[in-house]
Amino acid sequence: MKVLIVEDEKTLAEEMETFLKKAFYLCDCAPTGKEALEKIGVNEYDFILLDLGLPDIDGLELLQQAKKYATEAAFIILTARGNIEDRIQGLDLGADDYLPKPFSLLELQSRMHAISRRKYGVQDKLTELGEFKIDLKKRLVIHNTNEIELSRKEFDLLSYLLLHKNRPLTRMQLSEHIWGNFADDDYDSNYIDATIKNIRKKLSAFGNTEWLETIRGVGYKIKLR
Amino acid sequence: MKLLTKLTLFITLSKLVIVALFVALLPSLIEKIAFQYTNYYLREQKKKVLNVVSRNGVDFYLQGDSSYGSYTMLKEEYISLEPTKLETPIDTIETSKRIVESDTLNYRVLSHTFVYNKKNYILEIGKTTATINQYNDDLQRVALYVLIVLVVITIVTDLIFTRFLLRPLGLIIKTKLLNRRFPFKEHIQPIKTSTQDFKLLDESFINLMDQIHETFEKEREFTANASHELMTPISILQTKMENLMVESELDERLQSRLLEMMKTLNRLKKIVHSLLLISRIENEQFARSGSSNVKDLISDIVEDLEHRLDEKNLKITVHVSPTTIIKNINNDLIFQLFYNLINNAIRYNKPNGSIEITDTLGKDFYSIHVKDTGIGIPEDEIPTIFNRFKKANRSGNEGYGLGLAIVKSIINYHSLELKVDSKAGEGTTFTVLFPSFMTEN
Repeated sequence: MKVLIVEDEKTLAEEMETFLKKAFYLCDCAPTGKEALEKIGVNEYDFILLDLGLPDIDGLELLQQAKKYATEAAFIILTARGNIEDRIQGLDLGADDYLPKPFSLLELQSRMHAISRRKYGVQDKLTELGEFKIDLKKRLVIHNTNEIELSRKEFDLLSYLLLHKNRPLTRMQLSEHIWGNFADDDYDSNYIDATIKNIRKKLSAFGNTEWLETIRGVGYKIKLR
Repeated sequence: MKLLTKLTLFITLSKLVIVALFVALLPSLIEKIAFQYTNYYLREQKKKVLNVVSRNGVDFYLQGDSSYGSYTMLKEEYISLEPTKLETPIDTIETSKRIVESDTLNYRVLSHTFVYNKKNYILEIGKTTATINQYNDDLQRVALYVLIVLVVITIVTDLIFTRFLLRPLGLIIKTKLLNRRFPFKEHIQPIKTSTQDFKLLDESFINLMDQIHETFEKEREFTANASHELMTPISILQTKMENLMVESELDERLQSRLLEMMKTLNRLKKIVHSLLLISRIENEQFARSGSSNVKDLISDIVEDLEHRLDEKNLKITVHVSPTTIIKNINNDLIFQLFYNLINNAIRYNKPNGSIEITDTLGKDFYSIHVKDTGIGIPEDEIPTIFNRFKKANRSGNEGYGLGLAIVKSIINYHSLELKVDSKAGEGTTFTVLFPSFMTEN
């Protein structure tokens, strides 16, 4: 998948690029609106990550123009402005999602993943997790012929860890994914621990869950080759 | 009591006191005047008689008799002239009884001795006291009527004038004090008055409110700008840390140190988020066109917070009307409002404590109460709990000190009312009051 990062803050663009490349996306960067339009004119992108606060062109205006060329691309607005009108207007103008700064790269990838499934109909093949198979669409965990029932939050956590497999996720990152801005360190870290414990308990009745690792002092990760 | 009412009362009462005083004194006053007039009348009569005597001789009256006496038909007045052996001259006026044709009557009597042809004579002129006082009642009545009319006229003019005089004050109170909400956004024109004091008062109010508004605007602008400017560096730091977390050469020790940094950054992020939220609310960037079923709203929040309740083993009871709907609200903000209140009720509660959420439907207000059995708030701290960055330190929990500041700004934004009842050590009840026009059953 090809991504255009339209962001005037160079360091931020670089970090996004580093992260997305690791997740096997192909990335281009455009620090100005003008460059962005040029690149959109020449290349085809699946995702355009658009910062609204560009030095030359107003982000929402750029979105309108870019939409004409890149009719197929999915637009995600990234902004520090973050007021409600921008958000509504952005979505009205055809943006697919909206992430207020500061955002987590993990969350960005999760949103992109969701758009891929929704927009491009990317069917998740049944992902293998050791002896288990995960059906993200039907939200099921399958062992041989048994369907294992997980609660909504349990499945959310498992699929978030799976999306970011081989990467340690902190309790904070996990609770932020589940509760967004309402996340609270004191209580929610414990809740994450309890939920992971439940997942392990439910799954280990069927098979080995060694792939779900605890990283001492940090959090959890799903280890897959 | 209003100034106008006070003045009205004072004017009316003072005039009534004067009238009462006058009415009480009037009879004796009129009596005095009548007596004085009678004395004067008697002396005039005396002068006439003496004139006649000096011109025509005493025989003009006596006509050869030894004495002369005459009275009017109803005996109101009499005159007598007779020789006397009294050597000492007298000239008195006194009230005494006289018998006239077997009638004993009270007279005001002038007695005067004079010498004519070397003989002493005594002249008496009398007037019944009954006739002296005969006009008193009428006079009193007329005087009273005139007085009452005068008093009524002055009261009316006084009241009209005070009303007119005090009108600018009423206008100042109406336009500058009542119905004005912090932060006094709209500039109001000065009122027209020629009274210097009111002019000064009005101008001072206008200046003060403009100043407050300006300061508030500056603070709001600063908060908004600072928050925006902080977002980008925080974004960079966060993405850098996230990428660093998966560097292969990072050992566990470094990972957990990086985690500490991420936690701190997260805290910073939340503070900036909250400040930005407050400034957006104050900036009126939220529509107030939503409506929400109270029961559903509270249930959603409780469900979201269930794990935190379990963590402290708190018992929560929700007793709210299942049909009440609150309208003209911003759903996200009202959610946040109750989320923060209930979250605080959890955060500051004691283990195994309880939380009660109830509602009452009054005549003017629909209220929702959030009651906890937590650490409570000391009375002297209650006025400051809504200040930014103020938190109940004793709990030992980490708080960001902005939860209640957000609550307060949402309350203000929706023109709601918030009440706090708390007893240190026993618990706190927050009550949110919705004016009844914002609710529907």
